[in-house]
This record gives sequence, C-alpha cells and structure tokens, in this order.
Amino acid sequence: MTSASGTRPFHVLIVGGGGTGGALAHDLTLRGLKVTLVERGEFTSGTTGRHHGLLHSGARYAVGDAESAIECIEENTILRRICPGTFEENDGLFVAITDEDMEYYDDFVKACADCGIPAQELTREQALALEPNLNPSLKAAVRVPDATMDAMRMPLRFFATAKRNGADLRNYVEVLDLVVNDRVVSGAVVRDHVTGKVAEISADIVVSATGPWSEKVAGMAGVDVPIRPSPGVMLALRGRLCNMVVNRMHRSGDGDIIVPQRALSIVGTSSWTVDDPEELDVPVDHVQRMYEEGAKLIPDVARAEFRSAWSAARPLIGSRGDADTGRELSRTFKTYDHAETDGVEGFVTITGGKATTLRGMAELCADIVCRKLGVEADCRTRETVLAPHTEVYAA
Amino acid sequence: MSDAIDERRSRGPVQRKGLGPRPVGWLDPRGRTLGHLAFVANRITGLGLVFYLYLHLAVLSLLLPGGEAWNDFLELATTTVFLLLDVLLLFGLLYHGLNGLRVTLVGTGYVPNRQKALWWAGAVIGTLVLALAAIRILGES
Amino acid sequence: MSMTIDARTDTDAAGTAAPPAGTRRFRVFRYKRGDERPHYETFEVPVGYRTTVFEALRWIQVHRDRTLALRHSCLHASCGTCGVRVNGKEALACVTMVHDVGREITVEPIANVPVLTDLVVDMREVFERFPDDHPIVRGSEFLDDADTPEGIASYERYEDCIECGLCVSACPVVVTAERYVGPAALAWGERVLEEPRGAEVANLLSWANAPDGVWRCHAIFECTAACPSGVNPAARIMSLRGTLLGRRLRKQPRGSDPT
Repeated sequence: MTSASGTRPFHVLIVGGGGTGGALAHDLTLRGLKVTLVERGEFTSGTTGRHHGLLHSGARYAVGDAESAIECIEENTILRRICPGTFEENDGLFVAITDEDMEYYDDFVKACADCGIPAQELTREQALALEPNLNPSLKAAVRVPDATMDAMRMPLRFFATAKRNGADLRNYVEVLDLVVNDRVVSGAVVRDHVTGKVAEISADIVVSATGPWSEKVAGMAGVDVPIRPSPGVMLALRGRLCNMVVNRMHRSGDGDIIVPQRALSIVGTSSWTVDDPEELDVPVDHVQRMYEEGAKLIPDVARAEFRSAWSAARPLIGSRGDADTGRELSRTFKTYDHAETDGVEGFVTITGGKATTLRGMAELCADIVCRKLGVEADCRTRETVLAPHTEVYAA
Repeated sequence: MSDAIDERRSRGPVQRKGLGPRPVGWLDPRGRTLGHLAFVANRITGLGLVFYLYLHLAVLSLLLPGGEAWNDFLELATTTVFLLLDVLLLFGLLYHGLNGLRVTLVGTGYVPNRQKALWWAGAVIGTLVLALAAIRILGES
Repeated sequence: MSMTIDARTDTDAAGTAAPPAGTRRFRVFRYKRGDERPHYETFEVPVGYRTTVFEALRWIQVHRDRTLALRHSCLHASCGTCGVRVNGKEALACVTMVHDVGREITVEPIANVPVLTDLVVDMREVFERFPDDHPIVRGSEFLDDADTPEGIASYERYEDCIECGLCVSACPVVVTAERYVGPAALAWGERVLEEPRGAEVANLLSWANAPDGVWRCHAIFECTAACPSGVNPAARIMSLRGTLLGRRLRKQPRGSDPT
C-alpha cells in the first residue's frame, strides 16, 4: 500500500463526514491506506443524521427501481451482521388502505419475490393483531424485513472502527478549496473551526463524499457532477404509535411511512428540489400533509403531540432539468472517477444512494480508489463487526 | 497539520456556571428548578444551624462563672429582636428537619417521583407549625 | 379532518394569525482555541412563528459568520448532539422554539464539560463516565398487548437516553465534584441492571456503590428536570441506592450477582 517511492503508505483525504465518508474511511483503513477525513460540522450533521431512520428492506423500490431494491436488501442483511445491537429489529408492514392500493398489491408481492426481499402476506386481522393502532379500514398487509436505525449512531460505528484502526477523523474542519495544479488535485485548503486557523492537507487522492454538496465541492476541482439536492420534510411525534415500520402500499408518495424510533414516531416524507442545500425550508403545507397522510395509516397521528418538523436534502443523481419533484431520479449511487469523466487526476466523487447502502457505496468507491493507486486489497467490510459508536468520543 | 491536532486535543476552558470560583458554583440559580432551591436552602440552613450550635454552647458557658452573666443574658433573650431570631432559628430547624426527612425518603429509593409533592407538603406543615409557634413566642413579649 | 396542528402553521387552531415574524437578538458564546478568554457576539436574527434555536443559529452560521461552530445531527431530539444552554437553561436547540424563549436570547455551550469551540463541547468526558457495556436497544414497553411477527420474540426499541449531557450540565454536584460519575452514567447503570440483555453486570454494583457513584448525588433532581428524553436519572439513582442499601442490610457482599 505504499506510494511509488515506497517510503510511505498512500494517503486518501475524504471530504465529508456523513455515512458514506465514514464507511469509506473504514473500508480504506482496513485495506491498509492512510486516511484523513474532514467534516465541517459534527459527523453525520449533513443529510445522514436527519433521515427518519429506516433500515430499508428495499420493498419500496421493488416495483419501480429493482436495482435499488436489490442493493437495499443485500446491505440490510450485511448491516445487521456487522452492527449487532444497533437496530430496532421489528420488521415492517406495507399496508393497503384503499381499493387503489390493492391494485398495486400483486405487483408488489411479485416484485419483492423477484428482488429477493422476504415478503409475508397477512390478512387484515393478522395485521391489526401485530399493530393495533393501524387504520381499522385497512384491507391487507405484507410483512417485510424493514427495521429502524439510529440515523447517527449506526454510521458512527464505522467512524469508531476507522478511528480504532488509525484513521484521522477531523470534525469541525471545513474545506475552503481544493488544491489543483495542471488538472491534478493534490489536496485541500481547510479551516479548523476549533482553532480558527487555515491550513493545507495534501493527499494522493481526494474523495468527495459530500452528498447534496457534491456539486459545490466538484466545482472546486473545476468539474461538474449531476447532483440535484432534493429535500423532504419529516415530522416527529411523541409516543411510539407502532413497533414495526409502517408503510403505505402504493407507489412512492408523500407521508407514506411511519418509523418508530425510541419513544417517538417519525412520519415522512415529501420531496422537492433546490439548488442550494445550505438552509432548507420546512414548508407548512408539507407538514400538514404528513399529519394527513400519516393519519391514513395510523389515525392516532392526528392527535399525537408534536415534537419536531425538519427537512433533509437527499442527493439525487440526474442532470439539471430532469425532474421537478426528485422522485423520478434514481436513488442508486455512483462513483465518478474524474480522471475518466473529466480528465482531472486525483479526485473522485461518491454520491447518491441512501442511508442503508452506505457500506456498499464505500466498497465500490474504495475499489475505484485502490485501482487508481495501483493498490491490490480486498474489501473486508462485509464481515468485520464494528466498534461501538461511543468510541468516536471515548476510546 | 499535526500541530493543529495536538493543539486541539488539549482541553479548552471549562464553561462553569456560578457566581465565582468553583466552590460556589452550586449556588447559581440560572435555569434551575425547585429541587435546586430545596438543596441550596438545605445547605444554608445547615450552615446556619451549625453556627447556632456554637452560639448556643457559648451562651451556655455563661452559666459557668455564676448567676450574673446568665441573668444579663436572660434580659437580652426576652427582647423582641431576639425572639424574632428565635423564630428564624425555628424556621431553620423546621426546614432542615422536614427537608431532611424528604431527602432521606427519596434518597433511599422510596417515592422518588413524588419529591416535589413532598417538598410542598413539608412547606405547608412547616409554615403552619412556624406560624403557630411564632404567635406563641412573639405573643408573650 | 380536524386535528390540532400546532406544528409549523402560522395560525393557531382557531385560525387566528400568529404574531408577525420579526427579529430576535441572539447573544452567542464564542471561543476559539488560543483565545485568552471567551466572549459573546450579538446577532439580530429574522425569525418566524415556529423557528427553533437551531434554525436561528444556522442562519447566523450561513448568513453572518461561517466560523460559528455548531453541533447538530438529527434535528428531532433523538441524537442528543445539539444540547446548549438557552438563557442559562439546558435545552436541545432543535426542539426549542425561539418564540417560547423571549426577546433576548443568550446561547451558551452546556456546562461542566470542556468547551471545544463556540457552542461545541468535548463530549469525551460525558462518554468516559458511562459503564463500558451498555446496550442501546431495550425491550419495547409500548403496545405490549400486541402480537409479534413470526420469528420475533418481542419488540425492541432504542433506550431513552440520547447521550446529550444536559443532565451533567444541570447537576450542581458535578460543578464541584470533578470525579462524580454523574446522572447519565448512573442512569445507564441502573438500566443495565434492570434489563441486562447479556451485558456484564458483575462490577456494576460496586461501581455504583463508590463514594463518587450514587452516594455523591444530593437528590437535587435537576438532572431529571433537564432531561429531554424522559430518562428520569434521579429516580434511577435513588433506585440504585435503595438496591444497594437493601443488600447491605441483608448483609450481601458488594459486587456479587445482583439478581
């Protein structure tokens, strides 16, 4: 894993401390590379920490986006193995409320089978026995291996393991610009918000794992990535209204999922697109819609006590002008080796994807990084059980 | 950038609350609720009672040399100011005693979730007893 | 469909318009490593009816001062990272409405923990106190009459404690007793004893029984008042004390099987 001169290991600088960055730091560290990760805020403070906490079974994508669905169920299984004791493993339900929902039912069950997602058909009575708060006018339900994750603590386990294995993880360090000479990226100019000082970090390869900020960071290298920040609103209510994840059985729409999380119930989500992910609105009508749609699944949503309403921006891959709502864009992930796509050396962008696929995204990206460096090392993240999240703060 | 790392790993100033240096940090009332008031009053009455104990012993030592000093003291002890101080002392005893009971009950695992109600119950009982006693004590002057 | 939406609407249930949005003065604690001492900076921040302290601080960070360091992640009181003191009182910035706080708002980092930068503290001291082995998933006591799906013995949920450190900040004892284990750690200990889930319990009782363990607590209950997640650390500490006293009275050796 050493550089051409043989004097030191290759150094990878990862920009972005979300789930993808953390998983990549872990993967590359296991492959013997020297890793530095810089994150301008707290780890997972971008999009990663904000989602509703669904560990996807992939069932939501089985009908429209089989590729995504298969990625999800694979990663779902792996994550349960490498992060034991980190999920609320109660499975999930897809619930058909209306006749229109029932028209989707057969396609749904078949698509799950095609994608390898275990799906158990349930009658109305069986569903109500499992989740007594469900809308009593439900028609049928299907059980799938959804689960709840803690959106911050699960990814933090990747950070903790990388740190244990020698990665240098720096939160509160913000990249101001990339160091580019003759179309070669060789590092970054950063400000450390702890000291207020500016410094330069050099690296053999810089990887941008910045989610909806991918385009902004790519711009620092003079390249473009087709990422559309797509925010959605979520609503947290006090009280655990269900123990299993509850999904609406229909094509993706607003407010069609309720994820229980500790003593809260999270209703999500909606979708629109923006240019700048820095400050996201929380549109009042979207929150209203969460109450309305959520109450169709579990009527008690309408009376539950408000805890919080917020937005998070998904990084959707597509190009400008592709879509208005963002739902039409793919939720799979991509790695861009900018030497191939733009003739700029030393710079890679990993983007897209969803919280559940963080490890898989990191594996793909690490393969590409190693190939660029001429490093031969296998991925070991499928089997390596991760350190507890507390080790990020106290080893 | 290693200097910046080592610099960062050393600790910054601890943002302590308090009106001054550490020993009185526990007095800072900002953002605090009833439990804190109860605790602070307990400490202050406790200190007050200890101080009174010394006073009391000093006063009793006036008995040693004979009757004169004691008689002088008795004259002082029946003035209104002194009787008011007696009421204050009784307040201290009642507060520290009743709150002490509350802390003992709560602090050994009995009814911890009733700690506020217990404080108010003690406050009501204590106020009644203090009022009755004050009437008796001051009524005689 | 009628429902009391007090969420992000600009009108209340009766349809009355909310007070017009305006600005609030924020006094923010600032500190960078190398400064001689911290100082406060004042910002006028535009706020709406339901703006949270986090959103106001983020506005300052985006529009006024990029060097302002903030800690946040989930924005719904689940991760525990955004703990601050608002006008002296411990709170999670993401669920504290500016409207509820007042006209002038002072924001400071939580107390009793070393400050890293601005409003961010070094959480190492909070996490170091926790017992080594504390599972973060527990049995779910909600909807306990419900069936469970085939293959799942019982429902589970995350523990209430979100490791925010507000209780440590609120505790007047932590101010003066540096080695006091603290409410969050003791509450974790009590939870592990209550529901071991395979965790190591043998040393927990002697850990709790130490002078800087449960006995350092003065039953002040500020920790319970500050906790945003319903952990009730004070009651858990009292429960531990009760257990320890009971064992002492029955003359059991310390540190033995606590069942």
